[in-house]
Amino acid sequence: RWLVSSSLFPLSCIHTSASLQKIGKWEKKNRIVYPPQLPGEPRRPAEIYHCRRDIKYSNEKMWYLAKLIKGMSIDQALAQLEFNDKKGAKVIREVLLEAQEMAVRNHNVEFKSNLHIAYSLSGRGRYVKRIRYHGKGMYGIMNIGRCHYFVKLVEGPPPPPEPPRTGFDQAKEYVQQLRSRTIANTL
Amino acid sequence: LVMVFPPLPRLRGLLRCCWGRLERSLLLGFSGGQSPPWGPALAVQAPAFFPQAVSDTGESNEAPSLLDSVLWMAAPKKRRTIEVNRCRRRNPNKLIKVKRNIDVCPECGNLKQKHILCGYCYTKVKAETQLIRTEIRKKEGGPFNAPTVESVVLYDGEKPTEKDEGKRIIERARKRPSWFVQN
Repeated sequence: RWLVSSSLFPLSCIHTSASLQKIGKWEKKNRIVYPPQLPGEPRRPAEIYHCRRDIKYSNEKMWYLAKLIKGMSIDQALAQLEFNDKKGAKVIREVLLEAQEMAVRNHNVEFKSNLHIAYSLSGRGRYVKRIRYHGKGMYGIMNIGRCHYFVKLVEGPPPPPEPPRTGFDQAKEYVQQLRSRTIANTL
Repeated sequence: LVMVFPPLPRLRGLLRCCWGRLERSLLLGFSGGQSPPWGPALAVQAPAFFPQAVSDTGESNEAPSLLDSVLWMAAPKKRRTIEVNRCRRRNPNKLIKVKRNIDVCPECGNLKQKHILCGYCYTKVKAETQLIRTEIRKKEGGPFNAPTVESVVLYDGEKPTEKDEGKRIIERARKRPSWFVQN
């Protein structure tokens, strides 16, 4: 659910998508405009959506990097990616720097270090099938895979990590489950 | 023999083992000192029934040798479900570990690992060393002309001190960089 503000969009920006085939959903998320906040409401933190499409890298391998980044502050994420030897680390680093630049320029973010990564996802891009030539005239069909990378930066310090579930928590939940049982068709 | 390459892997495997057995039998024939059995032997095994007949005999021959030899191949019994695959792929030992040895370089302010030289400072020094080496190359003018004395690098407006008495001087036409300390 997103609300469009009362300001009119100039028609020019809607019809200039002739060059791009289709604007993805993630790119459209940057366009939502919230109505102005009332004086009593807590400040809504700025959200920046950025993505890169058709990266020549495997989706499964990109997932490991996205999992590494999740929930970190942007400085920590950039540090970890700088010293990672994977090919996708370089790509993600560029995407994060671009998103940081966009945040400061377009989305009214005051401090570029005050961002943390809320969502970091990798998606399957378009695959093409090609012939791989083996010896003796044999052939195999290989898949050339691409992936997309999506990131959402949110202003503010990163949320504290969840404490891991201990046995005591699990026992408490079990006892609670037992207590909340009811016997049907009785008083 | 015309090689046929069907896409089915079973026929391909059968043909391969049939070809192997043919080769072995031909080698045995040669060691016996007989005439090469190209013509007669192949005329007997007519290619019309070549795959069927040989495959039947081949299976009856292969089964006892398979039991005798220890060449059984391990093969998966069931397809690994995506849940099992995910448990293996997302196990913490397969996830990328967070590095805790990243610091800030005191010279340039870039990030560096604790046990590794700062990348930025290293490239900076490397570029300067490359220029000094071009100067040396110009001075020497060819290979195998390295002098037997030490060299000292002097920048703009520097004079050789009494410590640099017998050394070869290499001039660099720029201000001394702050990180290159003069002795």
